Amino acid sequence: MKKVVIPCSGIGKAFGAVAREATYLLADAEYSDTFRTICLPLLMTDDEESKQIVLESDVYTIDGCPKKCASVLVRHAGGNPVMEIMTPKVLANNKEHKPETVLDIGDGGRHLADDIMRIILNHGGIE
Amino acid sequence: MTFKPKVGLISCSGEACSGGNISRAATLEVLHHLRPNETVTICLPLFLAGDDAERDFAKHFPTITIDGCNKLCAAKGTARYSSEPAVKMNLEDYAGNYCRSDDERRRIQGSSKLVGKIAQDIASHVDRLRD
Repeated sequence: MKKVVIPCSGIGKAFGAVAREATYLLADAEYSDTFRTICLPLLMTDDEESKQIVLESDVYTIDGCPKKCASVLVRHAGGNPVMEIMTPKVLANNKEHKPETVLDIGDGGRHLADDIMRIILNHGGIE
Repeated sequence: MTFKPKVGLISCSGEACSGGNISRAATLEVLHHLRPNETVTICLPLFLAGDDAERDFAKHFPTITIDGCNKLCAAKGTARYSSEPAVKMNLEDYAGNYCRSDDERRRIQGSSKLVGKIAQDIASHVDRLRD
């Protein structure tokens, strides 16, 4: 069973775009044998297949603001994230990795996404 | 002078489907370039994760939902948690099923014409709703 990474949708904030980028670094790149993602809004429409994936997998959530949509929706579906990452908190440890805008997160945002990817990998995402 | 409310745009986030990336890109194009002063947005999951102020979004603003596939999460989520959308748009009406294989879902550069077409249609709906 693959591990599941779920970012917030974050259409209004650069931090949301960074969460999305970090997710793709894991689910679409060299770690795609281990990680996958699902569409977050499917959890608010009570999609049964998505709920089952959340219930049966190790779920990592990446949120861009204190509303923590990704974590809240995983719990709404009955799941319990093994790790909840807040993008701004990761930035606090690497202040030079500040993202630019939601349209273009820039080099800082890409570095921040890389930081998040490494936090998840170091948590045990890769055996 | 007549007050014209802004129009709400709600895109599916579609992380696992390239259709979601296209609907998101088209929505951002309207919000930032085509109709920046006439439109507002909110993250779709906030309808569930947020509070009453967020759930009132589609009651305050005539709202266009832009979905990336036939699951219509944006339209269904908006109707369920906020209010019935004024317009429901679906990428599959333009290009069929766009949920491609995983390694292609981020590659929307080759779809810039499609993004532009959908963005123009969103802008047209915005203008009509504000007339």
